Amino acid sequence: MNKTLLLLAAALPAFAQQTFDFNTLDKLGVKAKESTNITLDGDTLKLAGNFLNNDNASLKPVVDNLKGVYVRSYEFEKEGQYADADLEPLRAYIKTLQWTKIVDVKEDKETSEIYVKPLLNNRLGGLAIIDAEPKEVNVIYITGDLSTSDLAKLGGNFGIPDMKFLHDDKKSGKKPTDKR
Amino acid sequence: MNFEDDLREALRHEPAPPDFAAKVLARTSHRPPIRRAAVLALVAALAIAAIIPSAAHQYRERQRALEAKDQLMAALAITRTQLQQAKEKIRRNTRSKI
Repeated sequence: MNKTLLLLAAALPAFAQQTFDFNTLDKLGVKAKESTNITLDGDTLKLAGNFLNNDNASLKPVVDNLKGVYVRSYEFEKEGQYADADLEPLRAYIKTLQWTKIVDVKEDKETSEIYVKPLLNNRLGGLAIIDAEPKEVNVIYITGDLSTSDLAKLGGNFGIPDMKFLHDDKKSGKKPTDKR
Repeated sequence: MNFEDDLREALRHEPAPPDFAAKVLARTSHRPPIRRAAVLALVAALAIAAIIPSAAHQYRERQRALEAKDQLMAALAITRTQLQQAKEKIRRNTRSKI
């Protein structure tokens, strides 16, 4: 009985991973003046990967290992046009996945959170960013098998800053920033 | 009659009847062209039926892939911006703490 419960508890994160509906975040952008909704699952990512041209062919192996890319980005005319509470289901969901929160910055009315799913051998199973500002909300959720060099590769092509600062902090045993 | 005479008789050249050519032309100018056109139309229809859906499917897949690629690029660009902003916020906070 105990073993069954343990197995169920272990399987819960994987189950939860498949059940979050990112469309629930769409209500965040009801009053947005500009919005970007991107949902790319594994098959679509593979399709996109096949069309990466010479300029970004080096991204292909990275993209091939991704399972999902979800982006919700909203800009508002005025402050208070979205409810921070609408982000709570996502935060709760990420909590069930037991990802590591590596960045948690709160300044004035802005919050930035970055979560990663650490795997063995310096690999990551996913990356989530929740950035909430008075007139802007950004949610990024990427799953798949990523190495730190993959992230560096992304940085090479898109100017994504290298994630070294994250690993330096991990190595030193310090939390990068935790103002909450 | 012996065998050779029989053979000679059987192979004897006989001229065609005078209206033979007219009869042949009359026959060929009736139904066969219609049948031929029908067959050609059927073949063309089958070819179109086979080629068009495949080409349309390929076109749709290509469009979907290009759209997915654009979305992927946009997603990665937004990710880049957010990571840069987070990095900047960390720097600001670290500086203010010092």
